[in-house]
Amino acid sequence: MKSDLARYIGRRLVQMIPTLLGVILVTFILFNVVGGSPATQVLGKSAGVRDLDDYDRQRGFDRPLFWGAWAKTRLFNSGQWGKIASGLWRGEGLEWGEREDGFPLKVRRQVVLPLAFDPVPGTRYRWEIDGQLTPGATAELVCLEGGREIGRQNFPEGAGRVRLDFTTPPESRSMSFEIRVSSGMVELKMPILRRALPHPWDSQLYYYLAHLVRLDFGESVSTHQKVSRLLLDGLGPSLALAIPIFLISLTVSVALALLCAYTRDRWPDRVIVVTAVALMSINYLVWIVLGQYGPAYRWGWFPIWGFESWRNLVLPVWIGVLSGLGTHVRFYRTVMLDEIHRDYVRTAFAKGLNERQVLFGHVLKNAAVPIITNAVMAIPFLYTGNLLLESFFGIPGLGGISVNAINSSDFDVIRAVVLIGAVLYVTANLVADLCYAWVDPRVRLG
Amino acid sequence: MTTLTENSEMTPGLRTLLRRLWGERRARWCLAAVAIFVLAAAYGEGVYRYAQWRDETPGYQKTNLSERYLPPSPFRDPFGQARRAGAQTVWQITVGGLQALAHHPLGTDNLGRDVFQRLVQGARIAFLVGVVTALIAIPIGALLGCLAGYFGGRTDDVIVWLYSTVASMPGLLFILAIALVVGKGLLGVYLGIGLTTWVSLCRLMRAEVLKHRDRPYVVAAQALGLGPMRILFRHILPNVFHLVIITFSLRFPAAVGTEVFLSFLGIGVQGEPSWGVMISNARLRLWQGMWWEMTFVTLAIFAVVLAFNLLGDALRDALDPRLRVRDN
Repeated sequence: MKSDLARYIGRRLVQMIPTLLGVILVTFILFNVVGGSPATQVLGKSAGVRDLDDYDRQRGFDRPLFWGAWAKTRLFNSGQWGKIASGLWRGEGLEWGEREDGFPLKVRRQVVLPLAFDPVPGTRYRWEIDGQLTPGATAELVCLEGGREIGRQNFPEGAGRVRLDFTTPPESRSMSFEIRVSSGMVELKMPILRRALPHPWDSQLYYYLAHLVRLDFGESVSTHQKVSRLLLDGLGPSLALAIPIFLISLTVSVALALLCAYTRDRWPDRVIVVTAVALMSINYLVWIVLGQYGPAYRWGWFPIWGFESWRNLVLPVWIGVLSGLGTHVRFYRTVMLDEIHRDYVRTAFAKGLNERQVLFGHVLKNAAVPIITNAVMAIPFLYTGNLLLESFFGIPGLGGISVNAINSSDFDVIRAVVLIGAVLYVTANLVADLCYAWVDPRVRLG
Repeated sequence: MTTLTENSEMTPGLRTLLRRLWGERRARWCLAAVAIFVLAAAYGEGVYRYAQWRDETPGYQKTNLSERYLPPSPFRDPFGQARRAGAQTVWQITVGGLQALAHHPLGTDNLGRDVFQRLVQGARIAFLVGVVTALIAIPIGALLGCLAGYFGGRTDDVIVWLYSTVASMPGLLFILAIALVVGKGLLGVYLGIGLTTWVSLCRLMRAEVLKHRDRPYVVAAQALGLGPMRILFRHILPNVFHLVIITFSLRFPAAVGTEVFLSFLGIGVQGEPSWGVMISNARLRLWQGMWWEMTFVTLAIFAVVLAFNLLGDALRDALDPRLRVRDN
């Protein structure tokens, strides 16, 4: 029996793996593939190229998504390179062209490519510049290190791309790059500077997985705290709010559902059902706003804001219980009534047991399976379920942290909360299945 | 033939369904409420489009600082107003009073904008969100559920993996994250809600199609040499379509509630008066004694969600006796 259980748990753990991988993949797709680098969103429109590039590098957004040899740099990588770069370019015989697709830069003699930052020493880089030469023109891209030339490449005749690989020396002093035009004129499109990656799998996905393995969820942008630290700190207040809500609403709703089953089709049942539907239809926000206005502000029964004593928790707990009560009562009532039509209930009545004995002795026991499932499956939502309650009542829990993160576009925090919530859900699923087996001897661990 | 028509699991036709619903008093009230809601939404859409077409500020956005914080018209002593304005005869007082009643009937907000018109716009956005998210979620859920149930094997494995993955994501936060990544605005709300809520329908559909797969009518269709897609969508789908209707009636109010939430947090609708935006605005004014905006928005949401909830119950009773929620 014991080994059965162990084997069962083992198998379920293995079955969790695809789902967990799926969850990781979904967050990756959402935040990296669809979202892309949130640098401009986070740092604001006026942020310098260097800060943006730092943000990207710190969070791995400069790497390719899945695999590839080169990382992007933010050098001109913003689409509107003309606008951004026009103040930076210097050289002789420069002029901006007029074209539908961007701002081609015309070079007659010599131009220094502006760099927003110094390249990292001891790293391989690659320039890629699209150029178009007037007939008979010759131009070249030169790479200088402290005035000494370390690489040069000619532009191909006509229209084409020049590609120049170079490695920064270990003690790089000052790198500079020039385009020299000896005759004619060259028209440039957006130059791209790429950084070589140590290996082709050094991608965003790898970066993400490697950090996950180390349980490193990144760093909050607004508070500069480690996300894992932030979440750990938030766990306590969250649970202080969520556990009372969970326990009270479970007890109250199961009790009310039993009462409904006991008095079914008589007035107590009717009243409870109607009230439950009405409660379900009241928006969660309304509960909070009215609760804060009426009992807290107008009548002064509870503190409105803060997290100092248990008195701060009374009102949010009440609101949490009330707002979920309708749904829960209706669910448990359906569960009970499902059981009431079973044969064993008829048998029990036929044996001469009274209604109370049947309800508490038989029905409640049999209804325990769906009740436990529902209760266990509600546990992961304890962790994120009280977003609004926490942010409104100033409880520094995970919900409040998430709402703040949403307001300040703190993607690392949101991603971590989503991910941990999903992992908890998968775990709760396992626990619920184990509870099944524990409560219901009919469930075989097969 | 009789055995076929008496099969209780067949999805009844639309006419039968409406007749059954109409036969119940409560369902009739709900249908009426839903009809009013739809009309309000359509009217709101008309106002919105007209203002866009004329390229002018729509009525619900017009601010009037001389008429700020106007309570609902019955609280403004309309007939007394008419008398003070110089009405003499009973007729004049009646007409003047009715005019005063129709002037900002539900009051104005802190910028003097008409609460009633904004409420109608809120209905329009709630309706849009409910319908568009259903149009995203229901085809995904129905299609994947059908495919998984009918084909089984690898297809089933992949689809079950997909929906258990999505089901594991913490609901509201996942929606918030999607809306945030897509960008603030209605599109984010649509995608956030639409892409996360197909799971329940997919599960139901899969289980139901699984049961139908070995029914005689399906075997007969297979024996006739019909292709799997034709069997699935022409023969099985109509028989399990009631699940789609029930899911829609359940998803709609949930989507409305979520939209309120998202707009309240500022990720939803931008620059348009949705119910969430109105609550967030009214919340701050409540402390200053402006109770009406909050009250009417609350009532509107309550009425719509309640109507859909009750209608959903009635639909479930009428369509699928096994999913019965009311025990009578």
